Amino acid sequence: MNVHLPSAPKGPARIGIGGPVGSGKTALIERLLPALARRGIEVAVITNDLVTREDAERVRRSGLIDPGRVRAVEAGACPHTVIREDPTLNIAAAEDLEARYPGLDLILLESGGDNLASTFSLDLVDWWMFVIDVGQGDDIPRKRGPGIVQSDLLVINKLDLAPYVHVNADQVLTEAAGVRKGRALLGCACRPHGRAASDQADGIEAIIDLIVRDVLFTDIPAEVQGEA
Amino acid sequence: MILEHILGAVTDPWIAAPLHRLEHQDAVETVTLSREDMSRKRLRACTDKGTEVAIALDRASALFDGAVLLLDDRAAIVLRMEPEEWLCLRPRDLTEAISVGFFAGNLHWRVRFGDGQLQVALERERAVYLERLADRLADGRITLIDGDQP
Repeated sequence: MNVHLPSAPKGPARIGIGGPVGSGKTALIERLLPALARRGIEVAVITNDLVTREDAERVRRSGLIDPGRVRAVEAGACPHTVIREDPTLNIAAAEDLEARYPGLDLILLESGGDNLASTFSLDLVDWWMFVIDVGQGDDIPRKRGPGIVQSDLLVINKLDLAPYVHVNADQVLTEAAGVRKGRALLGCACRPHGRAASDQADGIEAIIDLIVRDVLFTDIPAEVQGEA
Repeated sequence: MILEHILGAVTDPWIAAPLHRLEHQDAVETVTLSREDMSRKRLRACTDKGTEVAIALDRASALFDGAVLLLDDRAAIVLRMEPEEWLCLRPRDLTEAISVGFFAGNLHWRVRFGDGQLQVALERERAVYLERLADRLADGRITLIDGDQP
């Protein structure tokens, strides 16, 4: 017997981008948007703020994306409540974007967190990354916390600033790898100081490679289920 | 291969017979996932025979233990969930029961209750949990039970 089923209308993949305030999540999105566009990946963005729409307005004004594709969710409380405990506001925003832009491949959901405990509900996202930066100190990975340990990808941002904040970038990456126990880890420099972003050392393309591999599956040839 | 549908369960009558035949041909592959990964709609995984698959379900579908993701004349792929381990704790008294219950919630541990026990799902290394409970264990406020010793 062969079971042939048509390709299902799955909708766009959803990725969470969490991490402490100031770690560079919005800056990372501003770098990801043009890089994703170059690969033909259609994107929308949802930002979560405590009581403002600051991040959404920043992304809308960036000129990097159709402003209509950017939605803001005001948590009104600790942001993790609307990405983990009760993500219905974000689910509704994602479904709204999916209905309005049927060709979407990917929705990025950004949410700040006031500590290292933020995690995303897997009812909301398919995969999530946690962003920290060397400016917060070299001990952040050692402090672990669910965001550091459980995220699908840990991004350590602002590596280019390490010498200026007395941090050994290699040591931070090594310690993070030890805490992560095999889970994905990438260094990043969203705004590479004194270097052209095109030299690939900023880590942006490596992050997208991982998204493509783990969530978008565009590297896998289309094959109808049941015709293996 | 991208698997986009749950075709049914291993126990469904229309699936059980062909699946049994394929098992005799050593043509059934198993994808084993953690409980956390069972919550996902999209993920990449390997079968027990090394076949790499991507699972991409619609938002209304949910993976479950025994789900059949592929079934044809030559092969089948079945999903299994890793068995869960639980740390079984018995609080010394009501005061400690309330206290350790609050503590577990504050750490976002997944718990269940039964037979006077607080049972904590081990989603990370056992030592991580025992480290956080060390003071309570040392004081005798809680005890590990049913041979569940550090």
